[in-house]
Amino acid sequence: MNDFNPLRKFLDTFFGPLRSWLGIFILIFLFSIVVFDGMVNDWGRASQGLGNLVTFFNESLWPPDWSVLEPRAYPVCTVYPTFMDFTCSTAWIGMVETMKIAFVSTVFGAIISLPISILASRNLDYASFFYEYLTRWNDGGIIFLLVSTLSYLPRFLLAAFRSLPSIIWAIFFVILVGYGPLAGVLAMTVYTVGYLGKLQYEAIEGMTKTPLDAAEAMGLTRFEIAFKVVIPECANDLISQVIFMFEYNFRHGTVIGIVGAGGIGYYINLYLKFLQYDKVIAYLIIIFVVVLIIDFISIKARSYFTEDIGLNRPSWKSIFLPSSVNK
Amino acid sequence: MTNIPKNIEPIIRLNDVSIGYKHDKPLVQIPNLEIFPGEIVAIAGPSGVGKSTLLKTIAGLISPISGSIEVCGKTIPDSPKRGKLGYVPQSLGLVRHASVLHNVMLGANAGHNTPIPFIGVCLPSSFAKKKAIQAINSMGLEDKISEPIRRLSGGQQRRVATARTLAQCPELIMADEFLSELDEKTVGMVLKEVTKYVKSSNSALLVVEHDITRAKMMADRLLVIDDGRANPFITEPTAMEVKL
Repeated sequence: MNDFNPLRKFLDTFFGPLRSWLGIFILIFLFSIVVFDGMVNDWGRASQGLGNLVTFFNESLWPPDWSVLEPRAYPVCTVYPTFMDFTCSTAWIGMVETMKIAFVSTVFGAIISLPISILASRNLDYASFFYEYLTRWNDGGIIFLLVSTLSYLPRFLLAAFRSLPSIIWAIFFVILVGYGPLAGVLAMTVYTVGYLGKLQYEAIEGMTKTPLDAAEAMGLTRFEIAFKVVIPECANDLISQVIFMFEYNFRHGTVIGIVGAGGIGYYINLYLKFLQYDKVIAYLIIIFVVVLIIDFISIKARSYFTEDIGLNRPSWKSIFLPSSVNK
Repeated sequence: MTNIPKNIEPIIRLNDVSIGYKHDKPLVQIPNLEIFPGEIVAIAGPSGVGKSTLLKTIAGLISPISGSIEVCGKTIPDSPKRGKLGYVPQSLGLVRHASVLHNVMLGANAGHNTPIPFIGVCLPSSFAKKKAIQAINSMGLEDKISEPIRRLSGGQQRRVATARTLAQCPELIMADEFLSELDEKTVGMVLKEVTKYVKSSNSALLVVEHDITRAKMMADRLLVIDDGRANPFITEPTAMEVKL
């Protein structure tokens, strides 16, 4: 019997490779190109972009105006010795304020998000705990409804806090409490709760099940399981995420100042309004350098909380220098 | 078989139980099984027949497909009283980033410390700590007491898991291959301590052991689970009588 099927042969020849993961990836990529093309009316504008950048860079951005590192005219700088007078500059004051906002909001956010993420973790199953607890008094449908709500509430809260970017929260809190770092701290805290909470409950859900099994068999309470098993077991991940969040909050803290929520962003916004882009680029370079330094420090700090503690901890030299130079 | 007075209540009673993860495909079917205080029962059988699943079911971590299981006077899914049941899973279930003492204190608190009602927090108890340190010493880990678990060898981690259960002083110890990764000398030491506890406290030990020679050596009764067919529990001819 002849099993030759020309259609099958044709499909195998031309579409056979598409059955692989690479084929699927290529299809998705092509689809994204089609979607992108649908959104852009005039591709000619993209080709003009490079020319515009060169003009903008030469005429407005470069060289940076480093006067932002000089002391402000008012209030008069009284710092001694005089080489420390850069601490009276707007760049320094703004940077320190941004760092303070990032630090305070990371600490507040981590404290608030941890209990919420424990309640949100599916593997800890607090919903069934509430169900058992409440059905002691009432076994009706209202309890079922209440427990269902309770089980979704933490995730709902975290998603709600995360759904708006920090700059929108900053606008919201500037309306509520006025300009300044208070609005910045509140905005960044709310966003930290949403973002860090998600990272935390994913870390908790990713932990191995056997410590939970052993604890449950022993008859430990939910509180003991959460605080003596889950948190110590996930501690490295949780601490590492908090350090990451501080770094993230610092970067975003520079943006929220633009809407009046304090920090270096306030000065960036000020000079943007006056079209003094050479000062803006000076601030951006300072932010970039500080972000890099924080990133390097966080590599070192996070290495204290990784699995192979003390074995492969990177030296400062290996953090700052590329591995090829460091051999 | 150990001589058990007729009026003594068993610690575990399984009535016509079938266990497994899928309702239409039970792994093991057990017509009847009772384990009494002071008994050491070993479960042996090839890989994948459901030995560990049986332990998890008795621990209340998996619901039985059918039948009833009574542990320490409570029918599953009602959990037995706090601290009555000690479980050493095959992968140990230790908190890897915490110290040896922290891990063993979990067992000691479960066995000897009552949590505050509605909150579930235990106040620090010197008695529980004393029990934990005793258990750590009995496993020969006194010099590792503040060491994090991840820095210990596989064998040392097994001893910590055993110490956690001994510190708990449970009525039933369920251990899943708790002697693997240990050298012969340490096996003797661990086995001696566990047997001493079981016999002196009138508790029971249900242990999964793939090494049949070792299982025969340590157990009063040996249950061999065959390939989950009609009669999965068979009496090992050289072992003592199995009460089914």
